[in-house]
Amino acid sequence: MATTTPLDLLVLHTLRCTGHTDLGRLAAATGLPPATVESELLDLAAAGLVVHATGPFASWGLSARGRAADADRIAAELAAAGTGPALTAALDRFLELNPELLDLCTAWQLRGAGGATVVNDHSDPEYDARVLDRFVDLDRRAAVVCEELTAALGRFGRYRPRLALALRRVRAGDLREATDSTTSFHTVWAELHEDLLTTLGIPR
Amino acid sequence: MSRVHTVSAQLDEPAASIGAKARGLAELHRLGLPVPAAVVVTTEVCRGVLGTGRLPDGLVEEVTSALGSLPQQVSVRSGAADSMPGMMRTVLDVAVHPGGPNAPLADALREVFTSWDSPRARTYRTLHDIPHDRGTAAIVQVMVDGARDDHSGSGVAFSRDPNTGAPAPFGDVLFGHRGDDVVSGRVRTRPLGELAGREPAVWAALTTALDRAERRLRRPCYVEFTYESGRLWFLQLRPAQVTGLAALRIAVDLADDGLIDRPEAVRRTTERDLDRARTPTLAPTGADVVAGQGIGACPGVVSGRVATSADAAVRYAAGGPVVLVRPETSPHDMHGLAAAVGILTTRGGPACHAAVVARALGRPAVVGAADLDVDPVAGTVTTRTGTLAEGTVITIDGTTGQVVLGHAGAVVDDAGPHRDRLLDWADEISGDHTPRPGPDRLHDAHTALRTEENR
Repeated sequence: MATTTPLDLLVLHTLRCTGHTDLGRLAAATGLPPATVESELLDLAAAGLVVHATGPFASWGLSARGRAADADRIAAELAAAGTGPALTAALDRFLELNPELLDLCTAWQLRGAGGATVVNDHSDPEYDARVLDRFVDLDRRAAVVCEELTAALGRFGRYRPRLALALRRVRAGDLREATDSTTSFHTVWAELHEDLLTTLGIPR
Repeated sequence: MSRVHTVSAQLDEPAASIGAKARGLAELHRLGLPVPAAVVVTTEVCRGVLGTGRLPDGLVEEVTSALGSLPQQVSVRSGAADSMPGMMRTVLDVAVHPGGPNAPLADALREVFTSWDSPRARTYRTLHDIPHDRGTAAIVQVMVDGARDDHSGSGVAFSRDPNTGAPAPFGDVLFGHRGDDVVSGRVRTRPLGELAGREPAVWAALTTALDRAERRLRRPCYVEFTYESGRLWFLQLRPAQVTGLAALRIAVDLADDGLIDRPEAVRRTTERDLDRARTPTLAPTGADVVAGQGIGACPGVVSGRVATSADAAVRYAAGGPVVLVRPETSPHDMHGLAAAVGILTTRGGPACHAAVVARALGRPAVVGAADLDVDPVAGTVTTRTGTLAEGTVITIDGTTGQVVLGHAGAVVDDAGPHRDRLLDWADEISGDHTPRPGPDRLHDAHTALRTEENR
């Protein structure tokens, strides 16, 4: 049976996986309206679980208590769902794809030229198309893993559309959406990786 | 045609059949250097296994009989004609006995061969223009034990510094550990030079071997080695990849040493090397303290105060530049990465999370500095030369991977004299001595050399 994560935990845990971030990104990552996210954040802040930093790096982040509370509640959610083994198996398949994704991100940023490595200035459409083609292939295999994750815990269903959106944007010509923006394929992928590790209580 | 070859000085099959690693081992034999007993199974066998899904009959028996004296512990490694670092499987500690069933060896061979077709390896080949139908050779080699006793260890060595081109052996050593401990990041490496004090006989044998290999290949060389109870063994030899400043300096030095002639030095230097030699890099002087060495992941030299957590990086950034030092990074470090002027990690390779993010943000980065140890709880970084507290100023070089204490002053293009001489040689070849930009002078010389060759 699918588990539905309460909104406050969804916001708290998403913040745990994204690291310090702003309201807009949290809304995109949780799939909730910004006003809802803000309301949850204010309640979480009143409970001492999240803090808002001001200054040049203004952002929302977890307090030490928030981190501990998240670890407890996320572990309890998994225990109640009883899908730990399925999630662990899906993590293994994710970890098989992870080095390949990082290779692809590197190939998107750098390219080998006569034994040396140079910055990919995206002036060679044929090369970019070849890398992108492999991104699409990897994304297809990642989709299967995302389905398994979502079957184990419903909230993992939020990653698939975000990855697909990033890839669609790259293919439409927004080259920063592969590795270089806060909504890029790489960024979403890294958040999913973090989510899997924290949900299963695996230290880095 | 034989499908299993004993690795020896006589082995001279093409790389397409036995792979580059086996050819390197054969070259080590020809140089008279000690190599643990090994056999190589050809790429033809790999192609068969990929087609049928099973090892050919009698193969395992052929391998064990070619290995000679048994029982032994062996490693089974991939070795393709084209370098595909880290893309395929290695199986260590495979027990091989005489006669009887050899299921572990059969499994290991199958695992190595089928790893040619792993999705990651396929992606790598697509990106590097390597055909998918070649297959890999497999090398079965008797293991030597770098963890055996106090006089054992393992390491990697370059005949010259691949970062600066300086004409002295360079690399990492792990005392009392096996080579795979370096890759796993479980143990911190030490600078190669420490071998001289701890194992003078091994050091002498290693430096002699590097010199001999360089004279034979007429190029800077890279070796992997293990020493067991004071006895040195070589596990790999290949030409060292160097670029930029180092490539330029080494070409000129090799010509001065008489290993190559001046036209060859000019031929080996690319316009890109000239260009890269101008990228500011650290040139530590005797006054600088080199605290560690990692892999350059995003070029540039920056100095800043050490912060061992993202929160500390944000805090310190209000007071001046910060270098974020982490074991590795995760999304949780993003605000610290954004606040820092540079990034240093002790784990990971050129494609790790920190490297990808550093390039996205345009921050100079050094990753995989395995001789450093970060303790984010205590807020300290243990280095080759002592323990640093948060707030200590360091300088990192995202090209060479060097980590230096303090504000290293000597951020210069050290290639000046070498570049001037090389370009003078280029002018002699082209016959054009008019003043013009360096890349043009090199380009004209290359054109003249090609015309000469085609005549």
